[in-house]
Amino acid sequence: MISTELAVVGAGPAGLAAALEASRHGVAVVLLDENARPGGQYFRQGPATEAGAARAGPRGARSLGAHASAATRAARLYSAVAHPGVTYLAETVVWAAPGPRTLALAGRGRADRLRADVVVVATGAVDRAVPFPGWTLPGVITAGGAQNLMKSQGVLPGRRVVVAGTGPLLLVVADSLRRGGAAVIEVVEAAAMDRPWRWLSRLAAAPALLRRGLEYRAGLARAGIPFRAGQTVLEARGADGVREVVVAPIDGRGRLDRTRARVLTADALVVGFGLTPAVELTRLLGCEHAWDAARGGWIPRRTTDLETSVSGVLAAGDGAGIAGVETALLEGRLAGLLAAERLVRCPPPRAAAAAGPLRARLAQLARFRDGIAGLHAPPADFLGLVTAETVICRCEEVTAGAVFDALGRGHASVDALKASTRAGMGRCQGRNCLGTLADVLARVRGGRAADVAVPRARPPARPVHLGVLAGEDVPPARPPEMPLP
Amino acid sequence: MPRGADVVVVGAGIMGLVAGIFLARAGREVVVLDRGEPWREASGVNAGSLAVQNKRLPLVPYTLASLAMWRRSRELFGGDVGFVSSGGLRVATTTEDAARLAASAAEQQQAGVATEWLEGDALRGRAPWLGGSAVAATFCADDAFAVPLKAGPVLLDALRGAGGRLCPGTPVYGMAAHPAGVRVETPGGRITCRSLVIAAGAWSGELARMLGVALPVGLDVNMLTITEPAAPVMDRIVTHIRGIMTLKQYPNGTCMIGGGWQGRGTLADGARDLDHESLVHNLRLAAELVPRLARLAIVRSWAGYEGVTPDSLPLFGRLPGQPHVYVTACCRGGWTQGPIFGRLMAELVATGETSMPAAAFDPGRFA
Repeated sequence: MISTELAVVGAGPAGLAAALEASRHGVAVVLLDENARPGGQYFRQGPATEAGAARAGPRGARSLGAHASAATRAARLYSAVAHPGVTYLAETVVWAAPGPRTLALAGRGRADRLRADVVVVATGAVDRAVPFPGWTLPGVITAGGAQNLMKSQGVLPGRRVVVAGTGPLLLVVADSLRRGGAAVIEVVEAAAMDRPWRWLSRLAAAPALLRRGLEYRAGLARAGIPFRAGQTVLEARGADGVREVVVAPIDGRGRLDRTRARVLTADALVVGFGLTPAVELTRLLGCEHAWDAARGGWIPRRTTDLETSVSGVLAAGDGAGIAGVETALLEGRLAGLLAAERLVRCPPPRAAAAAGPLRARLAQLARFRDGIAGLHAPPADFLGLVTAETVICRCEEVTAGAVFDALGRGHASVDALKASTRAGMGRCQGRNCLGTLADVLARVRGGRAADVAVPRARPPARPVHLGVLAGEDVPPARPPEMPLP
Repeated sequence: MPRGADVVVVGAGIMGLVAGIFLARAGREVVVLDRGEPWREASGVNAGSLAVQNKRLPLVPYTLASLAMWRRSRELFGGDVGFVSSGGLRVATTTEDAARLAASAAEQQQAGVATEWLEGDALRGRAPWLGGSAVAATFCADDAFAVPLKAGPVLLDALRGAGGRLCPGTPVYGMAAHPAGVRVETPGGRITCRSLVIAAGAWSGELARMLGVALPVGLDVNMLTITEPAAPVMDRIVTHIRGIMTLKQYPNGTCMIGGGWQGRGTLADGARDLDHESLVHNLRLAAELVPRLARLAIVRSWAGYEGVTPDSLPLFGRLPGQPHVYVTACCRGGWTQGPIFGRLMAELVATGETSMPAAAFDPGRFA
């Protein structure tokens, strides 16, 4: 069992910022991350080529074509992992939460437990999976997956690529594809994005971000890449990989107009239907969660001091609600500061003074985020894309038809659907399909996804090798007392 | 919600559903109530083992009769319950345990369970995937497994097919006996029945208490772990002479690790939490017995309730002093025994008699 003052889970923007800020105040920090190198998804780095990975800089950020300041910003963040007050454990999965503020770790061939006075959960987000005919074909990749591939491997998902879904990430990934040398056939945005001025006052709360968004759009336009709002992908076709992508407009009432479907020739389809907060750990820690569709679904309830319903457990960044990298950086810093204050490493007046500007900026970003959410409000119920043959659960190859059959036989909860169809019981542990099952149930009941009970959180938060877990040094336990015959 | 029925069964687990199915087939009007969703407690979350050679001696005839039903499950219940007649190895890892295993095997043999003694090269030859710590094992060809997640939907369909009714999400708030039967109070209203069957596993004690009857029902919180799907790891179920391990590989390649290592929870708090240190020991023993498991990723661990009795024998029969109330519950290894004790219960309710003697399991034996 390791002990520390502060455990930070996730070395993405929020986690790095939290570790950096807390360590500045003299807090002893253990920073945990499942990846080999720090940066998370946004600042994802390429493979290490030489020693001193922390100083190597954000190759990913540069190839992304983000602002030049991103490089220096990332380099400053990476200094967190080299800070003497920070113990950085890479390739380490937090797989369970066996006690209050206690984390079970597995990584690099060993397992241990870590008890912390304060825990900052900064676990980020995963792509929201939206099933449609052909979504499991090779060549269909999520926006986050495509960004990863390009940033960490320098590999393009295809040569002729359609980008479809909804949200600002589509513009970013289209830009990366274009810079990487792919032909981007079209960017297909489901939101109508009509009358954008309705959101302007909110978007203007973060003028730099608004400008960046407009620059992405202008970049696409200059490159002659069509941006089609109010349309969606219907289907990906091909025998052993994507050959064609069918798109169609969505009418004012959110219905797909299949009569005006168009067929695009492509060898890859990047789909981004938004992100889902990775809440496995806050759930395992016993934090209360609430449904917030605009922030990606189930998110931990937090106080204004970022504390969850569990004392001493703070949450920051996209894992606490999708809000983007700027918010993640600020929330991480605020969490680090508030942790330092709790740990009596920063006097309250100083902490309050330092927190003030962070909170003010976060409030501006929250306005901006509302504007983005309004602008990209999904007009359609994407379940309308699914046919009976569409696979819902990839791991167990469960089709929508099988799920509807189970519903018809009275299996009217996520748990019952899991048990009767095996959807959500495979290797991805339901990360890709439990949301869809909840959507299906909500639709059948005529209710909201918020009212659909989610299955009890179960370890491991990630699949981990049994041999590693079995190796943890634990005191002798009482074996089961079984009657002998 | 019906107002009346011939028989109300409380608990939509294996005992209650099998009893309900046979009673409905015998022409009784059957209503099965469950406090939550059907098949979600011990019957739905157990390890699936149908082990013959690890049962207490008084239970051996019932085990053999139940396995006969499991083998005929498709014919009896009309669907695939994932039954696999894999055979099983009961393992000893110390010489002291090997002696106990030998003694137990001799007793089992007398009771009618055929096993084969394996050690040394014979054991390695039969099960090259067993770890080096296994010093001896008995092989029982009757040991098998079935898949709880497959069996549930089959039994629920069979109940419906037989004309039985299922009322999920219907906890029993109160019960009152009257001369001709029992009145059952639920949030959906009162149901009057001639016979009431308590088949509520760990909750059976709470239900009996509503009629003023004390049943000594204890609670085990068994932890289970499932791995990712893998290439063949083991082709038999594995049990342990000390009763502390069950292992099997399902046809889909996933491996199930059980053994009754205890998590935490009570009926009152509803918790089904894992005990971290016990889980580590559980996994360590699994990897010791079948080393290939160490290389697999686990994808889910959970804990489930099992109702237990002081003598580890089932509660089966009329509730003391209650001519219209029956109980069939809390049978250690209830997954294996469920079909037979469900069917015997149907016989008892329908005819007042059972085709196998059941006095040893009388719920009044603890008084």
